[in-house]
Amino acid sequence: MADEKPDIARWVDEGAKAIGLPIAPEYRANVIVNVERSLMIAAPLLAVELDDELTPGPVFKP
Amino acid sequence: MSDVTSKSATATEIAGAVMSGKAKASAVIDAALKRIAAAEPTVNAFTDVVAERARKRAAEIDAGRHIGPLMGVPFAVKNLFDIEGLPTRAGSKINNDGPIAKRDGALVRKLEAAGAILVGGLNMGEYAYDFTGENAHYGPSRNPHDPTRMTGGSSGGSGAAVAAGEVPIALGSDTNGSIRVPSSLCGLFGLKPTYGRLSRAGSFPFVDAFDHLGPLARSTEDLALSFDAMQGWDPDDPVCTDRPAEPTLPSLIEGIGGLKIAIAGDYFAKGGEPECFEAVATVAKALNATKTVVLPQAAAARSAAYVITAIEGAQLHLPRLRTRAKDFDPDTRERFMAGALLPGAWYVKAQRFRRHYRANVLKLFEDVDVILAPATPCTAPKLGQVMMKLGGVDLPVRANLGLYTQPISFIGLPVVAVPTRSAGGMPIGVQVIAKPYNEQAALRVAYHLQKQGVCVSAPA
Repeated sequence: MADEKPDIARWVDEGAKAIGLPIAPEYRANVIVNVERSLMIAAPLLAVELDDELTPGPVFKP
Repeated sequence: MSDVTSKSATATEIAGAVMSGKAKASAVIDAALKRIAAAEPTVNAFTDVVAERARKRAAEIDAGRHIGPLMGVPFAVKNLFDIEGLPTRAGSKINNDGPIAKRDGALVRKLEAAGAILVGGLNMGEYAYDFTGENAHYGPSRNPHDPTRMTGGSSGGSGAAVAAGEVPIALGSDTNGSIRVPSSLCGLFGLKPTYGRLSRAGSFPFVDAFDHLGPLARSTEDLALSFDAMQGWDPDDPVCTDRPAEPTLPSLIEGIGGLKIAIAGDYFAKGGEPECFEAVATVAKALNATKTVVLPQAAAARSAAYVITAIEGAQLHLPRLRTRAKDFDPDTRERFMAGALLPGAWYVKAQRFRRHYRANVLKLFEDVDVILAPATPCTAPKLGQVMMKLGGVDLPVRANLGLYTQPISFIGLPVVAVPTRSAGGMPIGVQVIAKPYNEQAALRVAYHLQKQGVCVSAPA
């Protein structure tokens, strides 16, 4: 069900619980708005197809 | 040449006068401190003025110490740079509780070693997660050309201090556009060097993958003069390049002969207000640039820059978000919280895409040396403005002022933002973009435009 709209409120509530980030009730609505906005802005990146061989640029030098 | 104690004096003029004995560093600093006191109620650029330290340093220079190419030049730094004896605020209330910096940041030390004199720390958007220059804790920096308008950010105080003539040079940081956006809205020349070119040691981070430091000034010579003094490998910043320093000041007079200049099309030719495209057209005409190039997948690049920024920034601040959420600026808090909840898979994809995009953009530089693009999609919005109309569409100001800067810093290309004036009278900038480590080409183009009178910066 790839095209099913994600439940952002649940994403925020459960995600915050999972990573131990308390979100006060007065901040919650705006966090949801910002995750929705992030989904929108991330869409062009998520639509790109990349070859499996393409690794990230950063090089860690031990 | 300006009177070197006046607000229009450039760093080059001041250093020349102090070096030749025509002016005293102490007189230059006293005049700068007076201008700061007079302008601050209007522009709110400074959070810290280190008057005693600056006067002491000036007296030492007048006594024959600290000889160098920036002798007697007052400068100030965005308050994410460490200043010995002060907390490194990074625009926040939280960091103001400490720790106290034990020594100056690397670039402050380099400029002072060249004879420049630090006069203070500058206002900025909280933790640099900002394009507006607004700050809930310290008040907004205000645009000297119209104090009812934004400076742009996050190096808002840096833009305001130079545009108001408080100092000739300020340092800022640029992760997604934070030097280029205030340069555009405040009518300044700004240099975001190649990623890794200048040391970031002793500055408060935001997004390690994209953080750059650089100068804002009212002349190209001042950008080159300060940039040259700050170059060089620094083992304290693992990203800092070990390439030898490449002085840019001597090359300014070479002109633009031999440089192939193109205009960025597609993504960079839509989605903004007419004045940003008029600015590019004015600059392109002065340079006889007619060729258009397309940076492939620029929209995805902006998207990937956003994802990396949101996730890295949130990760950095997660401990503070857990324990001191109420002490954050309301305009950054919930954005950071949202970033902490985004999937790690998005981050890795964005980093993989970064390599792919870099390879494609570098191919363009096989045929051109410099690419022109708008710096901001509009002139300075009103302070407090939340939404703006861009190309007929209502969009949030905060996320969109960096529309054209994000796809460039994403792959660390060097850029000089050059100032023009819109028909409405407010400044608006153009990005002069070069291939990695070719700051020299962008500065030569900026200098040519300045000499032609096409791009001129004067204090408000």
